[in-house]
This record gives sequence, C-alpha cells and structure tokens, in this order.
Amino acid sequence: MNSLAQLLQGSLQGYILVALLLFVIGLATVLTRRSVLVQFMGVELMLNAANVALLAFARHWGGDVQATVFYLFIIAVAACEAAVGLALVVGLFRHRQTTDSDRADALKL
Amino acid sequence: MFLIFALITLFGALALNFQRNLVVAGLCLVLTFLGVSGLFLLLGNPVAAALQVIVYSGAIVVLVLFVIMLLNAHEEERPAFAHPIQRWGSILVALVLAAGAIRVALASKFLATASSPALAGPMNLERVGIELFNNHLVAFEAVGLLLLAAMVGAVALVKRDL
Amino acid sequence: MQKIAWLIPILPLAGSAFHGLLGRRAGKAAVTAVALGTVFASLALSAALFLAAKAAPEHRLDYAYFNWMAVGGLQVPFGLVFDPLSSIMALVVSGIGALIHLYSVGYMWEEEGYARYFCYLNLFVFFMLTLVLGSSLPLLFVGWEGVGLCSYLLIGYYFETEIASAAGLKAFLFNRVGDLGMTMGMLALFALFGTLTVSEILLKAGTLAPEACWGVLTFATLMMFVGATGKSAQIPLYLWLPDAMAGPTPVSALIHAATMVTSGIYLICRLAPLYVLTPTTLTVVAWTGGLTALFAATIGLFQRDIKKVLAYSTVSQLGYMFLGLGAAGFAAGFFHVFTHAWFKALLFLGAGSVIHGLHHQQDLFKMGGLKAKMPITFWTMAIATLCIMGFPGTSGFFSKDEILYLAFLKSPYLWAIGVLGAACTAFYMWRLMGLAFWGEPRDHHAYDHAHESPWTMTLPLALLAVGALLAGLLGLPKIWGGSFAIEGWLEPALTYGRPELIETAEHGSHALAWGLMAVSTVVALGSGLAGFLIYRKGTAPEEAFAGRHPVLYRVLSNKYYVDEGVEAGILGPARWLGNFAWKFFDVIIIDGIGVNLPGALTRIAGDFTARIQTGRVRNYALGMALGTVLLLWIFLK
Repeated sequence: MNSLAQLLQGSLQGYILVALLLFVIGLATVLTRRSVLVQFMGVELMLNAANVALLAFARHWGGDVQATVFYLFIIAVAACEAAVGLALVVGLFRHRQTTDSDRADALKL
Repeated sequence: MFLIFALITLFGALALNFQRNLVVAGLCLVLTFLGVSGLFLLLGNPVAAALQVIVYSGAIVVLVLFVIMLLNAHEEERPAFAHPIQRWGSILVALVLAAGAIRVALASKFLATASSPALAGPMNLERVGIELFNNHLVAFEAVGLLLLAAMVGAVALVKRDL
Repeated sequence: MQKIAWLIPILPLAGSAFHGLLGRRAGKAAVTAVALGTVFASLALSAALFLAAKAAPEHRLDYAYFNWMAVGGLQVPFGLVFDPLSSIMALVVSGIGALIHLYSVGYMWEEEGYARYFCYLNLFVFFMLTLVLGSSLPLLFVGWEGVGLCSYLLIGYYFETEIASAAGLKAFLFNRVGDLGMTMGMLALFALFGTLTVSEILLKAGTLAPEACWGVLTFATLMMFVGATGKSAQIPLYLWLPDAMAGPTPVSALIHAATMVTSGIYLICRLAPLYVLTPTTLTVVAWTGGLTALFAATIGLFQRDIKKVLAYSTVSQLGYMFLGLGAAGFAAGFFHVFTHAWFKALLFLGAGSVIHGLHHQQDLFKMGGLKAKMPITFWTMAIATLCIMGFPGTSGFFSKDEILYLAFLKSPYLWAIGVLGAACTAFYMWRLMGLAFWGEPRDHHAYDHAHESPWTMTLPLALLAVGALLAGLLGLPKIWGGSFAIEGWLEPALTYGRPELIETAEHGSHALAWGLMAVSTVVALGSGLAGFLIYRKGTAPEEAFAGRHPVLYRVLSNKYYVDEGVEAGILGPARWLGNFAWKFFDVIIIDGIGVNLPGALTRIAGDFTARIQTGRVRNYALGMALGTVLLLWIFLK
C-alpha cells in the first residue's frame, strides 16, 4: 500500500483507482438516467475507464507500444459503436417519438 | 498534476451523472475526456492523449451533440411514475462497487509493488506506427473494414425507405 | 356320476346365457323351451344324484373338480357335495323352481321383457344350486351373493317404476349388511381352522375341546347368523322383504318364499356341529327367530295388499325356522323349511293367480266373492292356508308342532311367543281368504272380468297342493306312530365330524308333547275360525275396529313405523353426514386447500415474479450489476 504522497504523485494504484471510480460513475449513469443519449455517454465513460486502466498498466509494467496500438483499435471500435448506436437512437425516436429508454418496453410480460 | 487531472476527470463524470440538460451533459463529457487525456499525458503517452482529444471529444461527442440537436431532446423527459427500486438499487450498486473498488485498489499489494521497468521515454507516433504496421497489419485492415461496415450500417438504419 | 353332477348348476347357467344373449331374437317359444328344459333337466339330475347319494357310503358324495384358489395357507377346491341335507335341498330348489318356471310362462307371457325374466330366473337357479351344493364356504358365498344379485334384478324387474327400483336396491343393500357378517364369520372360521371347506371344518371341529375356542367360535357363528339374518329377513334386517313384493309374483314365490330366504337356515344347518358347540349363539338365534315370528305376524294382521300379508307371513315363518334351529332342533327347523317351501310357494302362486285374474289388482279391500269365479285357485289356496295355520294332519301342523315342542324345552316363554304368533298367523290367513274369496265383490268392474288362470298356472298350483299335504309324512313324529324320518335322514349331515351328537335318547315326555300340541292346535283353530267369521262378510269389521282403536290400527298397519324410523334414525344422519362430508371435506378442504390453494399460490407467486420482466434495459442492466456485485462479494471474500 502506497502512502498518500506516492498516490498523489501518480503511482499505478492511483491510476487504477481513478479508472475504477470512473467506471463506477459511468455504470451509475447508465443505471440511473432514462435518456438513451445520457446512457450512451455513460457507456463512453466506462470505455474510457478501461482505456485508462490499460495504458496505466502498460506504462508501469511494460508493453507500452502494443498498448497504444490496442488503444487505437479500441478507439476505432468505440467510434463504430457510437455511429451505429446513435443511428439506433434516431430509429427509436422515429418509432416512438421519444428518447426515453423506459418507453422501449415492448418485450415486457 | 496527477491529482488535478484525476479530479477533473471524476468531477466531469459526476457532473454528467447529475446534469439535467443534455447539451451541458455533453460538454461535461468533453471535460471528462480532457481530463483523461491529461492522465494519458502524465503516463507519457502523448499519442494516446492526442487521439483521445481528436477522436473522442472531437468526433464522438460531436456526433452525440448532433443527435441531441436533431431529436430536440434537450431535457430529459419526466418519468411516467417514479422508479424507487431502480433508483435505490442503482445507488446501492454504485456505492458498493465504489467502496469495493477503493478498498481493492488501495489494499492490493500486487498493485503496490508493481515495478516500473526502465522507461523508453515518452511514446511517439513513429514507434506506434512501426509496431502497428509490422505486427498488427491484419487487425488494422480489419478495423478499416469494421469502420466501413459501421458506416454502412448507420446509414442503413436511418434510411426511411430502403 | 361325477362327470354329470356339475351339470346340475351349469345347465340353468347355460340357459340364462342363452336368454340373455339371444333371447329377444329367438322368440318366446324358444325361450320357454330352453328355460323349462334346463330347469327340468336339472331336476332330473338332482333326483338321480339324490338316489346315488342315498346309496353311497355314509350317504355322502364328495366331488372336487379343480383347485379354485390356492393362496398362502388357504386351499379352496371347486367342488360339489351331495349329502342328505344338500341333496334334499337341491331337489326342493330345482323341483319348486321347475314348477314356478312353468307357472311363470303363463304369468309373464304378455310381458315385454319375457326373455330377460327367464334369464334372471335361470341365473337364480344356478346361483341357488351353487349355494346348496358348494363344498366350501367361498363357493357357497358365491352362490349367496349371486342369489342376492338375482333377487335385486328380479325385484327391480319393472325397473321403469320408482317403487321397483328402490325396492331392489333396498333388498340388495340389506343383504350386503348381512354379507359383511358372513364374511367376518368366514374369516373367523379360517383363522380358527385354517380351511374353508365345510367337511374339513366340521371334522376339525370334532377334535376341538369346547372350552378352547369358545370366544372365536361364538363370534364366527354369530357373524354367520348375522349373514343369515340379512338373507332370511329376521330382525333387524327384514325390512327389504315386504318391499320385495314389487317384483313379479312368481319371483316372490320362488325367491322370497321357498328358496333364497331359506338359505340362511340352510347355512346354519350345514354348520350345525359348530352351532352345537356354541350354545350362546343358539340362544340368540332362538330368541331372534321367536321375536321376529311374533312381530311380523302382528304386522300381517292389518295389511291391505295381498302380497304384503304373505310377505310378513314369510318373515314370521322364517322366524319359526330359526326358533327351531335355536332350540337345537336342526332337523325340525329344516323340516319346516321343507314344508313351508311347498305351501308358501303355493300361497304366492295362488295370490298371483288372483292378481292375474283381476288384472293386477292387489288390494284385498277391493276383492271379494272370487270363490265362484276361480275355483282351482280357491281350493289350492285353502289347502295351503290349512297347512300354514297348522290344521291337524297337514304338513305345516307337524313341522310347526315339532318346533314349538323343542322351543318349550328350551324356554316356556319362547313357546308362548310361538303360540301367540301361530294365533296371529291363523287369523290373518283366514282374513285373507275371507276378504278375497267370500262376501260380496267390492270392485265390480274387476270382478266381472275375473277368470280362472290358464293350465300353465293352475297345474303347478295343484301339484304344490298335493306336495303340501303329503310333505308332512316325512316328518311324522314318533307320538303319531311315525319315526320323524327326516331327522334320521338328515342326521349324517347334521352331525358330520361329531358322531357323538347322534341322539339316542328321547327328551321330554309323550304327555308333554300331546299337551302342548293340543293347546297350540286349539289356539290356532280358534283364531282361524274367528278370522274367517269376522271377515267373510267384508271389510266392515276392520273399519269399525280401526275407528275404535285408531292408534293401534295405524301403528300395526304402518308396520310399527320401522321404515320411517330407519329413515330418520339411520339414513337421515347418513345422508346428512355424506352431505356434510361433501360440503366440508370435499369442497373446502380437498378442492379448496388441496387443489385450488396451490394453484392460487402459484399464480400469485408467478404474477409477483413476472414483474421482474419490465422490458426495460435499465432494469436488466441493474440486475446484471447486482449479480456482478454478488459474485465479486462471494469470490473476493
């Protein structure tokens, strides 16, 4: 366990802590908010948390370059997902005239 | 420095969580991304930092804002009826996970004794490019195809008449 | 002989099958031929085997055909036994049965279900012969139950009427109560002796010390007597017999006078050595018989339906038979069975002739003056009436007197009850004769159309009359110069396995016998004369009596309201209990709690848990998150 000073200096523990907290906040956003667009933003937060963790580990344990390459791919995939996801949001809006994810409950019992 | 960027990141995320206005929420997202970018810089990876700003906050957030404007969804709608279970459940989960995360991160000896190997200096694009095109060429091409597919898919999904 | 003996019961069975399956298509002539043919053939074979048994060593022919049941320690062979008791009974059954079959041809000719009638009647003869000739108690019980079944079928012959169906059911149910006793008796006997073949039981009984098995044997014999009570209509299981008159009259004659109702007495005679070992049971038998005799006779005094009078008369006479058995006069009781079969069948057939002639008029108060119109019927019924009241010289006189004599030796009170019953018997029989055959006709329309019955009906009447008169010779007692031959004849059967029971000594004295005979004869003649004189002019005396003693009249003519008592006391609560059991146990507990409650609970639980599926992604994501938290908790603890 690092001391608070080391933590604040930017040790691995610090970065991982930030990444985890960012992830939890993103999850909370997805769970708490009803608008699909905000939920999408939460998903992006979670993704970024993963990115932070990835690069932090890579920096402290080696494999920096590969990690950056991997990070590149992650961004590419995230962009695709953003495009398609937002297209879906537009489709939902056209169908139901709403962006409230609670209104998309046709599969309930 | 680390503390500042960490706080920026987390503050932006929290602001996003509690923001009613969607456009402002988008801007909070940008703030978060900037914070993350700063963290990347501190990790000695300017390439990643630049990519973060360009792609994430420059493209993805813009796209989101476009859609917000398009759908005229500035405010989140009023709920039909309150969902106490969902709200409290989510809060519970979030708090538990957060507490767990803090404990794990701080108590882990593994993380604490991680060694820092000799750093080869900050990352530069040349090294990334060499690595990418030497060892991960197929993946690179595949990602290109993926982007194409996503583009086609997005257009197909919003077409009115196919 | 063995090869043809089994035909005796089987021929009527074959006839019954023919009538049941092909009767309607074959036509009345074929049905008549087969019915009469099988029963008369059975009679001929019975006679042949009677003679063969007489000539056999120990007067006994034991035929076993195959092993019917072999279960654990129980071996039951399917066999027929022809000893003095069973061969004489078989003759009675097939003989009187044959005559009644002949009579039925005339009586039932215009009926729609002609073939059905003979199907049941032949079936009855089969079952009765099985009962009589069966060598083991289960086989006897098959016959026992079978005659009960045929009784139900035949009583309910006119099944379209409510009365007949109800009466049939009543008969069957009362019989079942008795059958329970019979079954328990059989079980007790099996427990005691390890076998249910009658000859083996009696042989083993001979080797038992009386004190050793008093409790179980008394129980067994008592239970058997309960069964006999049901079949032979004694108190308290007699209620079905008067109702059974709803069946056709030949049925009443055959089943409820001559044969089925005597199977109770027959059973006790078969197991006579056992009953000798249990004097307690014999006392119960005697008193039940005596009380029934008097009780039924009093009811018969004021009945209006001619068949009901005869029905109560049958119950009363059966009481006399049991009285005789209970007084250890097994031969005397059986002798009364024999004579009663003749004259009671004759009485019923005669009544049937009257009913037939008057086109189904059964109310005595609407008859009168038939003496001139139906002479053969009149004279034969008169002979039968003389027998039943015990006119000196008739068969009924000898058999009844023997019973009363032995009853006196057992207990003078029993004798007094018997004499009172005889007085009532004589009175109501002459009341019947007076109302039916003398006086002015009270229903002129029926009287004008009355006619004598065809020869198929009057011939059996004549034959039965002859038999009724001559049957007395079999039991001519010693004081009259005879040798009470029937007792000697039956002795080997009644004392099988216990030769020490053969009596050589006389009991009582001749003077006592003459004295008792004189008293009972005077009483019977007197009351008979009284009945005749009172009623030969018409119904006026009875109506006057009813006016003077309304309560007594009503009680007697309504049979002491016993039926109503049973309905209120037993059937009413039983129905209430059934209803309650249905409303409470079935509807509330089983349907409600057993069936509906799990269903309702499941539905409620299902409705509740179905709320998890909201269709909203947010909720599902929460579920996943909670699951993850839980897993992390488990794995990182």
